[in-house]
Amino acid sequence: ESVWSRTSKGLPGDHSAQWQPRNFNRAAEPYILPPAPNPTAPPPPKKPPAAAASSSSLHARRGWSPDAMAPTKKSKKSTENINNKLQLVMKSGKYTLGYKTVLKTLRSSKGKLIILANNCPPLRKSEIEYYAMLSKISVHHFHGNNVDLGTACGKYYRVCCLSILDPGDSDIITTV
Amino acid sequence: EHAKMVKFLKTGKAVILLQGRFAGRKAVIVRVFEEGTRDRPYGHCLVAGLAKYPKKVIRKDSAKKTAKKSRVKCFLKLVNFTHIMPTRYTLDVDFKDVASGGPDALATRDKKVASCKAAKARLEERFKTGKNRWFFTKLRF
Repeated sequence: ESVWSRTSKGLPGDHSAQWQPRNFNRAAEPYILPPAPNPTAPPPPKKPPAAAASSSSLHARRGWSPDAMAPTKKSKKSTENINNKLQLVMKSGKYTLGYKTVLKTLRSSKGKLIILANNCPPLRKSEIEYYAMLSKISVHHFHGNNVDLGTACGKYYRVCCLSILDPGDSDIITTV
Repeated sequence: EHAKMVKFLKTGKAVILLQGRFAGRKAVIVRVFEEGTRDRPYGHCLVAGLAKYPKKVIRKDSAKKTAKKSRVKCFLKLVNFTHIMPTRYTLDVDFKDVASGGPDALATRDKKVASCKAAKARLEERFKTGKNRWFFTKLRF
């Protein structure tokens, strides 16, 4: 029976508790977590062109301006972009799907980009992020669950995490 | 493209064993067999770990008690990469005499015992310097 079954529950969002061992000098090696995605920021509402005058004041009151839009939630266009890029990688590049192979590529530092579905279990997500932190490989959190990620890969099964080894013709590594 | 690939499973890396009798114990990678060997055709490494952690030493302990509490019990094990969890910590202890034997440091029982004793001595002296305190504290789970 492995250690993981007995260890911390991996409460969603409460990542700080997991990586802070007690009884030692925190200042020696600070581990800075990647910032958790901000679920509280309200997505900017869609603006019909006719009501521009009245809604602009509304947005000004809300403190939102088109220039200063924080990229907390990707627009539909960006998700489509990622899907297209993934499609290209599937066609022309090298990749592996699935948790075990993703860890393998992380250990051997062969992966270039890791993509996680949003319903990936939090403990698994933390583990992959930790490995990626050690090996300095970037992780992308896909805006969709494992079913969507599998579909985006063109597969008929669910994919929770995948690792891109060689992007082929795609520029997914540089843009994401 | 920019070389992003950083290999982190190297000698001196502190890891936690996930499976087996020593699950949950902290260990140091002594030697890495990246491609595996003929007996073990998978990536694995030789780790030296703490079977028994040193006990907590308090100020009012006598010298004899401190010596007794600072003892560690060490283990040497060849373990698959999938059964260890790497951490961000390192423990740069000189395990030359342990690692020089290589895979046959664990071949016969005498060699294993001798290597274990050498590793134990190294770990104990490292503990007494007070460095790498994370490594010598038990992982609570």
